[in-house]
Amino acid sequence: MSAATANTNLPRRIIKETQRLLSEPAPGISASPSEENLRYFNVMILGPSQSPYEGGVFKLELFLPEEYPMAAPKVRFLTKIYHPNIDKLGRICLDILKDKWSPALQIRTVLLSIQALLSAPNPDDPLAENIAKHWKTNEQEAVETAREWTRLYASGA
Amino acid sequence: MGNSSSSGRRNSHILSQSPGHPPPPRMYPAPHRYPGGHAPPPGPGMYPPNVRYYSYHHYNGLIPPSQFYSQNFIQSNGQFMINLPPPQLYSQPGGMPSHPVSQPPRPLEVVEHQRASTIQNTVNLKKATLRLEKDEENRGSYLVSFSFDATAAGSICIFFLAEEGADCSLSPVKPDAYTPLRSEFEKGLGQKFRQAPGTGVKFSKFGEKELLKGGEHYVFPLVIRMETLPKSPPADEPPRESLPLGAPLPDWVHAQITQATIEKKDDDSYQVRVVKQILWISGLRYELQEIYGIDNSGIGGNFDGTVAGKACVVCMSEPRDTTVLPCRHMCMCSECAKVLRFQTNRCPVCRTPVEKLLEIKVPKRGSELGGAAESSSSQSGAATAKDLIGDCDKVEHIDPKSILVQASDGTSKS
Repeated sequence: MSAATANTNLPRRIIKETQRLLSEPAPGISASPSEENLRYFNVMILGPSQSPYEGGVFKLELFLPEEYPMAAPKVRFLTKIYHPNIDKLGRICLDILKDKWSPALQIRTVLLSIQALLSAPNPDDPLAENIAKHWKTNEQEAVETAREWTRLYASGA
Repeated sequence: MGNSSSSGRRNSHILSQSPGHPPPPRMYPAPHRYPGGHAPPPGPGMYPPNVRYYSYHHYNGLIPPSQFYSQNFIQSNGQFMINLPPPQLYSQPGGMPSHPVSQPPRPLEVVEHQRASTIQNTVNLKKATLRLEKDEENRGSYLVSFSFDATAAGSICIFFLAEEGADCSLSPVKPDAYTPLRSEFEKGLGQKFRQAPGTGVKFSKFGEKELLKGGEHYVFPLVIRMETLPKSPPADEPPRESLPLGAPLPDWVHAQITQATIEKKDDDSYQVRVVKQILWISGLRYELQEIYGIDNSGIGGNFDGTVAGKACVVCMSEPRDTTVLPCRHMCMCSECAKVLRFQTNRCPVCRTPVEKLLEIKVPKRGSELGGAAESSSSQSGAATAKDLIGDCDKVEHIDPKSILVQASDGTSKS
């Protein structure tokens, strides 16, 4: 089956979500589908203000599996980020991407949740053990490292 | 939002960090080819693109492929269906199935899916319109007012501080404080009722504390019973008028009972809050319950497929017609509901375990009733109580804004 065939079989829901993401993007978030595969999205999230990620532009990839929306989208950070709930491969520890997924959630709500996770790191439930430890033992320093990483890797270049 | 996520993340964390398992990068042997081959080059500050990020918590490299495949089976309607990976998306050398196993298979309880059937209701008090107004001719007294629809003539009885008993009987807790009121009404939609000035009830006689107490043990501060006679009473029965107000209802009377609490506001006025509405039809007692999201449903025939809020939350295309029980979220179309129940047992909106799915198909209303109802109120449809599913003691829908739950013991009194 070619990519073109797959795209013609795209569920209406995905088409609608895509249209709305493009026509009414959420503040600080952009998501656009790949031309070759309309289930694959290039995502950019701006670091929330008053967070160590402020000023950063973070790239992510998002893929809608065949079962979507009965199964959660697969999302990963491509830009390096220092965050206790995001590991060194960019994978995100977020319950709605796992067992708390609901088909009433959407691409938009998932990305808003990830944006919120940047504002509220949760070192008590870590994915990146070392970063979480850092966060808990010396939060000020960890936040500074997160700022530094944002400058180094997410400056939008 | 980070905090609300804790339980799930803890779980997945444990999975991904199990002792003895190699760290993630080594677990994903096959280079991941991005769909369309447009993977971003791994520039500075970018994570390597060859990570199969989508299955990290479920595939740890230790499950033999055969078992891996078996997890892709879904049992549906007694048939086995298999979810095959979309080959064009993640082709892998080595034949390792690349399709993400999104959730570990969980034991699925097959949920009952039922269609609503219809019962006819003849009278409906619109609960949002219920008010207590100051009686200008009688200082310190209050008058009851509300709007209602009725498809038959009947009578209204108003009780303060009354207890519900068997067969929807009502008895005043403080019979000395007031005399229950009774008045007649004619057939008609969008009618207004207001107690005659001068007949207001003095709350001071009850002792305010008692009156303002919430509904407990079937005692409610304000109870309104509206009765109609859809058919003529049996010849040997005494006429309704000769019986005391609040007498138990025989099965040939049709009634709606509205039970409300009273709250005092800062400006010394009183606010009424409807707690429960009950229908008495053919000798059975039903509790009326609101369906959440039915305003946004396709019910009523005004679905045009464009308003996002009206579409099924799953497919976002079809009108909503299926309510999840017990949480009463009308959020899906029947097709998606059928698919959902093999995937999860939780409501998409609130994650409450699903006990039942109730499909509500409302035939388009006749022009006479529909037109009149729509002009009189947005609620309309008082006459078309919907529903009844299953055998008995279950759930019904009315109005069509709410469902009815029949009390299991008929009298509701223990």
